Amino acid sequence: MAGISSGPATNYKFYANYIYACTRMRVRRSRLIPREDYLRMLNMSLPEITRFIGETNYRSEIDELGTSFSGINLVEEALSWNLAKEYQNILELVPGKLKYFTASYLRRWDIQNVVTILRGKMQGVQAGKLREVLVPAGRLDKVALDRLLTEESPERVVEALKGERFYPILEKELPRAMETGSFAHLENELYKGYYARLIADATEGIKGGKIFLKYIKLEIDTRNIQNLFRLRAGHVREDVRELMIPGGSFSVEELQRLSGLEDRDEFIDALKRQVRTTPLLNALEAIRGKGAIHEIEVALTRVQLDQMERISKRYPFSVLPILVYLEEKKYEVANLRALARGKEAGLPGERLQGYLVM
Amino acid sequence: MVDFGTAELTLEMVQASQLGMRALGAGLAIGLTGIAAGVAEMAIGSAAVGATAENRDVFGLVLLLTVIPETIVISGLVVALLLLF
Repeated sequence: MAGISSGPATNYKFYANYIYACTRMRVRRSRLIPREDYLRMLNMSLPEITRFIGETNYRSEIDELGTSFSGINLVEEALSWNLAKEYQNILELVPGKLKYFTASYLRRWDIQNVVTILRGKMQGVQAGKLREVLVPAGRLDKVALDRLLTEESPERVVEALKGERFYPILEKELPRAMETGSFAHLENELYKGYYARLIADATEGIKGGKIFLKYIKLEIDTRNIQNLFRLRAGHVREDVRELMIPGGSFSVEELQRLSGLEDRDEFIDALKRQVRTTPLLNALEAIRGKGAIHEIEVALTRVQLDQMERISKRYPFSVLPILVYLEEKKYEVANLRALARGKEAGLPGERLQGYLVM
Repeated sequence: MVDFGTAELTLEMVQASQLGMRALGAGLAIGLTGIAAGVAEMAIGSAAVGATAENRDVFGLVLLLTVIPETIVISGLVVALLLLF
């Protein structure tokens, strides 16, 4: 009896928490930098951009770090700190199962941080320098990352990660990476493991998992299509099966077949036959006229974000509004970093515009 | 001989029963609409608190939106009053 009476009450409580968290994410999303501001920033110099960022959500970080850093380093650090702080804050405020899925998603930052540390250790970069480029937004927080930074060699770093989800892959792939001096294969395997784990988390029967799975498939599809275009741009014609992420709507064999097509138009036509969503079809048609790989990548990313936004409206109180915000925030930080770096390098605004996901 | 098995319905008894039914109807009108307003306000209230946590300026607006489902319970109150008087 207690179970029957407490059931609906518990559901209502969860329902209310979901609405609370999703509304907060929607409000935060509305405060992200709009397209018009990016266009204005394209005409600004680096100090002007820093001041502009300092007047938005990044004020506290710019103020805090202003005494220790300057110029491009100040912008980079402030952006990384803000991103990490924002993600950790979101992880604290999302309720129940949404927290589980969000934490699962954020593990990608662990991979990025660990690979950065491994590369840095391999090349003998100072711990202080490495710390500046880490984004402690995942499960491994600042303290855990600091502990990894004190380790002397890549092997010791991997040893210290015993017990983490990705430890088996690290342990298996590290000797080869050390031998060849390249962490590319290790990184690919880690990300493939990450996506496989995401699918496992989504399909283990937790409520809301199906909606999470929709996002994962969309993400994998976008990554795979982007990678196919990258491989074409790099004229790689060999076996690409190892570079593709399984679990999306395309099988790895299909992707291999697509990568084998010589003619670019033929490739896009074949891809279009496999795709069902109209926005992606339109984007592929638009890509036909584009030559630069970064333009293609930005177009595909934009389609992915729009598609996520569309699905999140169909499931307004699920993990999707949270993921939409997390992804858009990630690209906001990437855009600002690209802008700042580009301005530092003296690139013209028109050139930089092509690299921004707006 | 008095037959205790059947009771004769007097006019007073019928009137009293009708009054009881009206009171029950009025109670249901208030009670059910109260629950309905509560459920509706739960969703709006959660969103309102979420929005206010991010942006304090919207407090006045969301407070107004949160109390809009009170109209449900007001209609219940009107029905209850009509039933009773």
